[in-house]
Amino acid sequence: MADLQHDIPTTTEVGREDRLPDDPFPVESGAAFLERAHALLEAYPVADGYSGLPRALGPLPWYDLELGETAVDTDVPRLREGHVGALFWSLPVPEGDRGDRGGRAVRATLEQLDLVRRVVETHPEGLRLVRTAGQVIDARNCGRVAVVLGPASAAALDDSLGILRVLQSLGLRVLSLAGAAWAGAQGLTRFGEEVVREMNRLGVLADLSGAPEAALVRTLALSKTPVLCTRSAAAAVRPHPANLSDGLLARLGEQKGVCMVPLAAEQTGPSLADVAGHLDHVRAVAGPECVALSGTYDSGVAHPRDLDDASRYPHLIAELLRRGWSDTELSLLTWGNVQRALRSADFTARAAQYRRDPNPPRPADPEA
Amino acid sequence: MTSLDEARSLLREFPVVDGHNDLPYALREQVRYDLDARDIATHQNAHLHTDIPRLREGGVGAQYWSVYVRSDLPGAVPATLEQIDCVRQLIARYPADLRAALTAADMEAARAEGRIASLMGAEGGHSIDNSLGTLRGLYELGVRYMTLTHNDNNDWADSATDEPNVGGLSAFGREVVREMNRLGMLVDLSHVAATTMRAALDTSTAPVIFSHSSSRAVCDHPRNIPDDVLERLPGNGGMAMVTFVPKFVLQAAVDWTAAADENMRDHGFHHLDTTEAAMKVHRAFEETNPRPVATVATVADHLDHMREVAGIDHLGIGGDYDGTAFTPDGLNDVSGYPNLVAELLDRGWSRSDLAKLTWQNAVRVLGAAEDVARGLQETRGPSHATIAELDG
Repeated sequence: MADLQHDIPTTTEVGREDRLPDDPFPVESGAAFLERAHALLEAYPVADGYSGLPRALGPLPWYDLELGETAVDTDVPRLREGHVGALFWSLPVPEGDRGDRGGRAVRATLEQLDLVRRVVETHPEGLRLVRTAGQVIDARNCGRVAVVLGPASAAALDDSLGILRVLQSLGLRVLSLAGAAWAGAQGLTRFGEEVVREMNRLGVLADLSGAPEAALVRTLALSKTPVLCTRSAAAAVRPHPANLSDGLLARLGEQKGVCMVPLAAEQTGPSLADVAGHLDHVRAVAGPECVALSGTYDSGVAHPRDLDDASRYPHLIAELLRRGWSDTELSLLTWGNVQRALRSADFTARAAQYRRDPNPPRPADPEA
Repeated sequence: MTSLDEARSLLREFPVVDGHNDLPYALREQVRYDLDARDIATHQNAHLHTDIPRLREGGVGAQYWSVYVRSDLPGAVPATLEQIDCVRQLIARYPADLRAALTAADMEAARAEGRIASLMGAEGGHSIDNSLGTLRGLYELGVRYMTLTHNDNNDWADSATDEPNVGGLSAFGREVVREMNRLGMLVDLSHVAATTMRAALDTSTAPVIFSHSSSRAVCDHPRNIPDDVLERLPGNGGMAMVTFVPKFVLQAAVDWTAAADENMRDHGFHHLDTTEAAMKVHRAFEETNPRPVATVATVADHLDHMREVAGIDHLGIGGDYDGTAFTPDGLNDVSGYPNLVAELLDRGWSRSDLAKLTWQNAVRVLGAAEDVARGLQETRGPSHATIAELDG
């Protein structure tokens, strides 16, 4: 915390009375907030809960993330400018491959993992593939952006715990339960419960964004480690199917899960202030230790104004400072909560592996 | 000292590297991977050819476990991952006897520790579903050889037991071979058509293997290796691992199987049908036509010939246990290898010849593939070719 205990400039408060009504950032105080935001992010960078970069890079014939790449929203210079310390790389399965009985979802996920390894290998100065919370810290201490694998699509499991174990061995840390037949409107099926237990045993975090409410509630009750909602804002502020009601946010807060608010105009509203409004609301309902950020860059969604690429986080933090977020709350928002979730999952996995054996891959014979 | 004693003493020093064992598939089919139901730390004679006591008795020091899945069902990639998971669970479950091995050095380390080096081989190019990214995924997961086809053609390679399609390897098929070379995954030419064998030998810059195939000159069956291909092994540096499957190695059994299949078709059944009605027809046939029995000598005859053609540095053993219903007398299960070694001792094979056959050649070949891969990786990145691009 030593980094945080620098002098808080009081001058920023002085200008408030003089502010013009149509100018949200008076020149002096705005610059001071931004400066403080940079200082804060220096110590507690952003752990971004959802990046679509692998899929965006897939079709590009060539790219250089270290020099800067205009074809995408994310590259190393902009990650550095935005103080991003960790990125969760989503591994979505293309629409046409979901629900395919020929295993195309599994193949698509293996191909994405292959691409990710290649991208990280070819950008060794900027990126480092990590598995554990400890490795996130190591990467940061080496000045690299930590790349965490996931969320992968539930379709990638092909309803098999064996495949879950294999994907985990390839580095997968987050699995989305959205769209799974075993995590539907009725909650989790018995197999679904087994998936969550096996995820706990392996240290794979559950992502419940976009999953039915009952599945989220059941997973919260069942999981021995905090769950994530990698792309959910507050439904009370702006209704959207993937946003969480206050009731769910409160439950998530009780279980110390993490609601990662996306920088996606459709879910949050079109301005930076709208995003800040969601963050205020989630902080109030779920608690400051249950809110985090999710850039959703390169995932094909429209971003709020002034948050159009990965370099813009300091502006969001400056806005939150202006709204009175404390340094501690901001450190949790950008970094601490996600680190806690990863660390908890690591710990749960280590503890569970002594107590539980892996199960046979499938609950029943699929060929019957 | 009898030759069997001498064989056992030799195997203690140079244990068997077996190229192909279908235990994972047997566990999948019999008990859906319920490893408690088939505890291989105890004798499983009633259900399996393979368990740890018999592997020990047979002097096995390294095993390529096949992660075979059927080529006639959809979903080969997920099923292959489940097979890999099964092998890993076996290794995790029996750590005193099995050791995961990814390299030639791991094999030597396992031998030094007295554990059985456990490697994986994928049986059939269908396991990558025309995707080089998936091929790399399998390598990453520990698969160290891939048989280019199983009994059916795939889109880029012809099988020995299917109609000619691409005439060996397609352009994408050759790219698969090159990518396997770059990764250090052995190209396995068992099951493939002779045209595919020749095309792969033309393409591969690393040693190839036949994980479980015998000699076509000794017994004319498409699953065996023609002499012109065996002759190329010294130049390539690879090896042929002789298999024991009676219906491939004994001419009488080949003929008998053809007659039995014909009889099934005459009665309106598919020749692989195992339904009760079909089995009844089959049993009636077997009663009037006793099944010919292969012996240790049958397999030794193949090895004698293959040695003439390919040379002692290019031979190995691939029993195909748990992948076939019938086995030769004396090689009934994985405890039988010492009988084969004893037979070869009686035929005048020297200790150093036998050390090459059982252990040294296989370790050398994997190590050579690693060396080639290291060289290629200096100059080439992963291939992103697609079958649509190359084969149109």
